[in-house]
Amino acid sequence: MANRINMRDRYKHMTRLGWETSYQPMEKVFPYDRYEGIKVNDWNEWEDPFRMTMDSYWKYQGEKEKKLYAIMDAFSQSNGHLNISDARYVNALKLFLQGVSPLEYQAHRGFARQGRHFTGEGARVACQMQSLDELRHVQTQVHGMSQYNKFFDGFHEFPWWHDRVWYLSVPKSFFDDANSAGPFEFMVAIGFSFEYVLTNLLFVPFMSGAAYNGDMSTVTFGFSAQSDEARHMTLGLQAMQFMLEQHEDNVPIVQRWIDKWLWRGYKVLSLVSAMMDYMLPESPMSWKEAWEMYFEENGGALFNDLARYGITVPSYAEICAKEKDHLSHQVWGILYNHTAAAAMHTWVPDDAKMNWLSEKYPDTFDKYYRPRFEYWRDQEEAGNRYYSQTLPLVCQTCQIPMGFTEIEDPTLVAYRTTEYSGDKYHFCSDPCMKIFTDEPEKFCQAWMPPQQIFQGNCGGEGLPAVLEHYKFNLGADNMDYAGSPDETNWNKWKGLDGAGDGQVKAS
Amino acid sequence: MSHQVTIEPTGETIEVGEDQTVLDAALRAGVYLPHACVHGLCGTCKVEVLEGEVDHGDASPFALMDMERAEGMSLTCTATPLSDLVVEADIEVDDDARSIPVRDFAATVTRIEAFTPRIIGIFLAVDKDTIDFQAGQYINLHVPGVDKPRAFSIASSPSDSGTIELNVCLVPGGEATTWLHANLEIGDRLEFSGPYGRFFVRISHPEAMLFLAGGSGLSSPKSMIIEMLERGTSHEITLVYGARTEGDLYYRELFEELAAKHANFTYVPALSDEPDSSGWSGHRGFVDAVAAQLFDGRFAGMKAYICGPPPMVDACVSTLMKGRLFERDMYMENFFDQSSTDTRVKSPLFKSI
Repeated sequence: MANRINMRDRYKHMTRLGWETSYQPMEKVFPYDRYEGIKVNDWNEWEDPFRMTMDSYWKYQGEKEKKLYAIMDAFSQSNGHLNISDARYVNALKLFLQGVSPLEYQAHRGFARQGRHFTGEGARVACQMQSLDELRHVQTQVHGMSQYNKFFDGFHEFPWWHDRVWYLSVPKSFFDDANSAGPFEFMVAIGFSFEYVLTNLLFVPFMSGAAYNGDMSTVTFGFSAQSDEARHMTLGLQAMQFMLEQHEDNVPIVQRWIDKWLWRGYKVLSLVSAMMDYMLPESPMSWKEAWEMYFEENGGALFNDLARYGITVPSYAEICAKEKDHLSHQVWGILYNHTAAAAMHTWVPDDAKMNWLSEKYPDTFDKYYRPRFEYWRDQEEAGNRYYSQTLPLVCQTCQIPMGFTEIEDPTLVAYRTTEYSGDKYHFCSDPCMKIFTDEPEKFCQAWMPPQQIFQGNCGGEGLPAVLEHYKFNLGADNMDYAGSPDETNWNKWKGLDGAGDGQVKAS
Repeated sequence: MSHQVTIEPTGETIEVGEDQTVLDAALRAGVYLPHACVHGLCGTCKVEVLEGEVDHGDASPFALMDMERAEGMSLTCTATPLSDLVVEADIEVDDDARSIPVRDFAATVTRIEAFTPRIIGIFLAVDKDTIDFQAGQYINLHVPGVDKPRAFSIASSPSDSGTIELNVCLVPGGEATTWLHANLEIGDRLEFSGPYGRFFVRISHPEAMLFLAGGSGLSSPKSMIIEMLERGTSHEITLVYGARTEGDLYYRELFEELAAKHANFTYVPALSDEPDSSGWSGHRGFVDAVAAQLFDGRFAGMKAYICGPPPMVDACVSTLMKGRLFERDMYMENFFDQSSTDTRVKSPLFKSI
């Protein structure tokens, strides 16, 4: 074994991408990693956690694709979409394709940019590879879900929707915020907060939801992506440790970013909470259980370790802990109210689902939310299904309609307001307002869907003009599941009756 | 049946039990291997199998692909050996580490000394043989009547190759230490295997060395410091040794003499529970606090070696990090009891802290 080059040296020889520039000074070649205030003493202390060379990268990813596409082809040829638990499940996929897959593309762009702009070659190589991974993820997701697009509504214009439709501005504005930040903040926002701390709360619910509901195509995609995900998580941690160890002046900057981005990510995940608890016909776990396992337990262990660097748990962790009993119910209520303007279906949970929710949320569901759903069900049965006809006020930071309640009083909607430069801005919570007041000059420029509609930038006046601008197939992409073409088709394919009454029954 | 697994490029050898994964055995033996998910899904723990056969277990076909299986790659978190193995992992070779094969030894007890009310020194003469070890390593001692061997760091210098000195602290309720304290006599025969462990001084690096030790955790620093001074090292060396009271200090004269003789060695005993009324004029407080006092809370540019009870180690790590010294410059003695199962949820932020 004496003449063998070991893995580390082999890697070093294959990835020499760093040199001191001579035609131009280094700080002109890499101008963007200085203005955020992060001090770097020695870029060589950045270890590339990927430790993969480009030749083996193509080889590995190529084989992953082959496997994945073989399964997706088999899924398509055998009409795998007929084996899912119920057509309601497909709405989780619509949310994923509209709201999450475009984020993978945004991540691809973001990491490509950091892969150019970091001075250290280790950081550059790692970011470039993650950029390619993210591109692969969005492509495989679009391919995987194209099978559903052939048979269900709510998929066909997902990129157009992502850039325009009100609820999709929640994930979109999150990533726009990250992509318009400096490279180090981007790493805390996406590499650390999103890919490391919160990824399990996004990915696992969708993939285990797919497994529980018979969607083998999405499950296989999940495995294929997860084999990249661990490398992404490692990069996020490495970026974090690097900043914290390079200079003590970096610690308060990093702390502010952690506080900002964990909250920003948490608000995006509130859509996932509604998906988990309401959209999945078969639920592997509740939002609350997932939050406890992935954030409180695993995140808690991480913050215990970060404490050694002087990093503390964000002060609002307390709010999240109390809100976990309410979040999914409130978000589903918001979607139910505004589903006339959403490219997905909603419904009132049936008795079996409500009983499951009572069991999972013993302190809150029966007390606050069951009566609401039962009232809505009564109204539906009496022919009074009400779809909101007005535009909601949305939070200036997270862009979610202002439907969240005060932590101490779940019957009182929380409103926060501040003024900046003569204008009034509204927020759903204290942390969202804090994020605004830290950087008002950035957040006052946010693209707010209701304001844009009122300013005439979204097709014209009134809901019908806006929905036409959205390119919705009215009555097919939007409104309740009950009475939708999705429901009619599903019942026809499966030989079920009961089309139109909102409940699927075996014939 | 268990198998021997040799890990390249460091050359360490571990014993992997029946149905045990390579990763599990390595971590339990104190050998760090890269890992993350521990379920065969992520591929972080991928190694190349250079010799021998493995069962890949539940490795995901995406994390370990057919092509990689054909090329001899494997995931240590799911792989179980089907024969003795040589694997190559993505770990760093350290030029200061020596690779010394583990052997079995028989020895006679030549001396037993009560150092403090709780710590005894046991001196063993190896039968017609010498033992090669690196200062900082430990042995697994078979204690009569006790099921599994127990790990004890070697307190003597490697230059004294016929003798092994162990410092044994009486652990309340501890089967082995209770027996050794109560029953061991001069002339008794004991068996042990060794040397084990990757705790050693980074002598090729010029940085000043800070040893933080408490209780019987003095063993390894004693061996390391004596050997370095014997060889005339020019490194700045500081030993902060923590004990509860003056009566719990041992080897004080030895270290004071060494400090008097060697300008580059500083010895700082620190007492955490010494009565105010006593005549003690030295430092008071816990090891980490005294070290912070000595260095104004700044540790950047040093290499630290920490040995002692877990709460002391934990406090020292926090204090050192607060003083801007990080994992890459900190070394700790980790020996894992084969049966120990730490069920706390751990974050992957640190490799071995």
